[in-house]
Amino acid sequence: MEEFKIQTEKLNAWFGNNHALRDISLGMRENEVTAIIGPSGCGKSTLIRCLNRMHELVPGARSTGSVLLDGANIYSKGIDPVTVRRRVGMIFQKANPFPTMSVYDNVAAGLKLNGVRNRDLLDEAVKRSLERAFLWDEVKDDLDKSGTSLSGGQQQRLCIARALAVEPEAILMDEPCSALDPIATAKIEELIANLKEKYTVVIVTHNMQQAARVSDFTAFLYLGQLVEYGGTTSLFENPKEELTERYLTGKFG
Amino acid sequence: MDLGLEKLRNMVLDMAELSQNTVSTAIDAYVQGRDLRDRIFGWSEELRMLQDEVSELAVEIIARYQPVASDLRFIKSSMEVAYGFSRFGRYAHDISDVIGIFGDLSSCDRQAIQQAGAQAKDMIRMSIKAFTERDVELAGRLKKMDDVVDGLYLDFVRKSAHEPEANLKCVVSGTLILRYLERIADHATYVGDTVPYIVSGERAARK
Repeated sequence: MEEFKIQTEKLNAWFGNNHALRDISLGMRENEVTAIIGPSGCGKSTLIRCLNRMHELVPGARSTGSVLLDGANIYSKGIDPVTVRRRVGMIFQKANPFPTMSVYDNVAAGLKLNGVRNRDLLDEAVKRSLERAFLWDEVKDDLDKSGTSLSGGQQQRLCIARALAVEPEAILMDEPCSALDPIATAKIEELIANLKEKYTVVIVTHNMQQAARVSDFTAFLYLGQLVEYGGTTSLFENPKEELTERYLTGKFG
Repeated sequence: MDLGLEKLRNMVLDMAELSQNTVSTAIDAYVQGRDLRDRIFGWSEELRMLQDEVSELAVEIIARYQPVASDLRFIKSSMEVAYGFSRFGRYAHDISDVIGIFGDLSSCDRQAIQQAGAQAKDMIRMSIKAFTERDVELAGRLKKMDDVVDGLYLDFVRKSAHEPEANLKCVVSGTLILRYLERIADHATYVGDTVPYIVSGERAARK
């Protein structure tokens, strides 16, 4: 059987009575980018929020089924959701740097929370994380500036650096570019291609062309169900399901 | 994008009709011993220009709309098919040139050429129909027909090679024309190959 970094098995999710995800079984490979596409409300954000136990933070939200991280169910009893979220980081649609913190402190926040106090270690981690997020050169002389003083694209990369600082194994991205201009978007996309060398990346996007550009595998969700999943090139060139074909060619509804 | 695709489809169909007429006229002119070089050259030039227009429109649609799935497969195939049609025109022109160069060929045995010519005309007609109607079964029949044209060409060359008394003019002109017909048949087969690709993404295995 194929080894997946993250694997869902018969994952179901609800918001109150709203059954948002239905029996999703999907494997995401290490060092690959998996894109999740589908129309608004199809459950793609809910799906990735189940991958690091963020879904349950919404009042009335619940899920069944399992999500395996390196083969171990993150929903098992005794698993600390905070540990899961450290191993599997999340980047949101709207960049959300801590507003009162400097660039430096934003990146160091997670480490400090985990008890790292040594200044050299922190300096090193901040630099390394900002470099990996392709931001270091732009902010290295302004580390004391407020994180929110950066441009939108820089703020998003700051959030990526913050997520990387705690040495996660996987990065989830929920529409990371939808508030960014094309140049900032191109930077993030380039960054995603680079990140997959070290991490498992899962990206939710309503921009099909973005999914086609950045991902190795693509999953198409519709009305909470997984319609089709496959290699990105083959899914975009030759989708197997009529529903996928209609969605990709804009012949929906 | 739908408007662009419709326009592309119409351009390709125009090319189909013109290329079919051009090849038919060239073959008929040979059989009747008529020199229609100028007319056929004009058509083949027109086909070449139309092919450029198809390529330009295809690239424009790709650049503007980033088509995927069956739209993408259709656009890629349209470019290939348009190239095939422009080759039909070019080979028709080459066939008509043979008459111009060799003059009267009525004393030559033209049976193989008439047979291959009829077969090539049929193949063009079928390849266009298969492409237009996305008929995978019809497209699949082209391969066997292509083998027949290949056979006629090779037999003619082999026979001529072992016939010391053969009339040089008949042998050279016949070889050239059969060679052009053989190329036309190949391109008709390629046109047919796009059909399963458009329909289901299946790529043809080329010899």
